[in-house]
Amino acid sequence: MSIEIKGLLLGIIVSLGLLGVTFGLTPICQSKKATVANEEQQANAASVSSTHVLEGEAKRGYSLFDHSCAPCHGDDARGDEGPSLYDLAKSDARITTIIKGGVKGEMPSFAKKFSDADVQALIAYLRTLKN
Amino acid sequence: MDNSLWVKMHGGTTHFPIALVMASALFDLAGLVVPENAGKSRRAGFRAAGFYTLILGALGSLGAVLSGLVIGRWQLWGRGTLAHHHMFLWPAFGLLTGLAVWRLVVGNHASNRSFRIYLGIALITAAFMGAAGYWGGELLLKG
Repeated sequence: MSIEIKGLLLGIIVSLGLLGVTFGLTPICQSKKATVANEEQQANAASVSSTHVLEGEAKRGYSLFDHSCAPCHGDDARGDEGPSLYDLAKSDARITTIIKGGVKGEMPSFAKKFSDADVQALIAYLRTLKN
Repeated sequence: MDNSLWVKMHGGTTHFPIALVMASALFDLAGLVVPENAGKSRRAGFRAAGFYTLILGALGSLGAVLSGLVIGRWQLWGRGTLAHHHMFLWPAFGLLTGLAVWRLVVGNHASNRSFRIYLGIALITAAFMGAAGYWGGELLLKG
C-alpha cells in the first residue's frame, strides 16, 4: 500500500472519528443543559399558562420568533442567553427600536431582516407572553 | 466561564482557520504553477508554507468549533441562519481534518497527480470555510 493511500485512509478515519466524537458528545452536553432547563421550567410551572392559542399576526410572529429569536431568548421565550420576554413592560415603539436597532454588544440589529409588518407580528406574539 | 468570553473567543479563533486554509490552498496552488525553471527551492518554499498554514488552520479549527458549540448551546444544526452556518461548517471541519492528516502522513512524497487532487479538495474546503464564515457573520449581524 502506497503512503498516499495510507494517508487517505488515516485522514478519513481521523476526520470521521473527530466528527463522531463531536456529534457524540454534544447531545450529552445538550441533555445536561436540558435537564437544568426542565428543572427551572418545573419550578415555574405553577404560575405559567403553558399553552397559547395563537392566531393571525401573533401566529406569524411566533414563526418569526422561532426562526430568529429563540436561539437566544429560548424556545419558550423565557430567556436563555438573552432575557425572558414574558410580561414586557416596554411600549411597542420601544420594542420596535430594540428589534430594529439591536442592543450594542448584546443583540444584533434585525432591521435588514424584518419588515415593519414582521416587527408588528413579533410584537403581537410578544404581547401574548404573560405569566 | 462567562458566555461573552466564549463569544469573543469564537470571534477570535474562527478567523485564523478561515484565513490559514485559504492561504494554504493559495500557497500550494502557487507551488504548482510556478515555472519549473524558477528553481526547486521556490516550489518547496510554497509547499512548506502551504503545509504549515494548513496544520495551523486545522489546529485552530478545534478551538473555533469548541467555542462555537458552547455559544450555540451545543446545537449541532439549529435553525435558520445557524443551520446555514453549520451546513458549510461541518463538511469544512471534516475535510480540513482529513487534509491535515493526509499532509502529515504523506509529507513530500505525494505524486503530482495526488497533489492536484489534494489541492482541488483543499480549494473546496477553503470555499466551504468561507461560506461558513459568511453565514457566521450573518448570524452575528442579522440574527
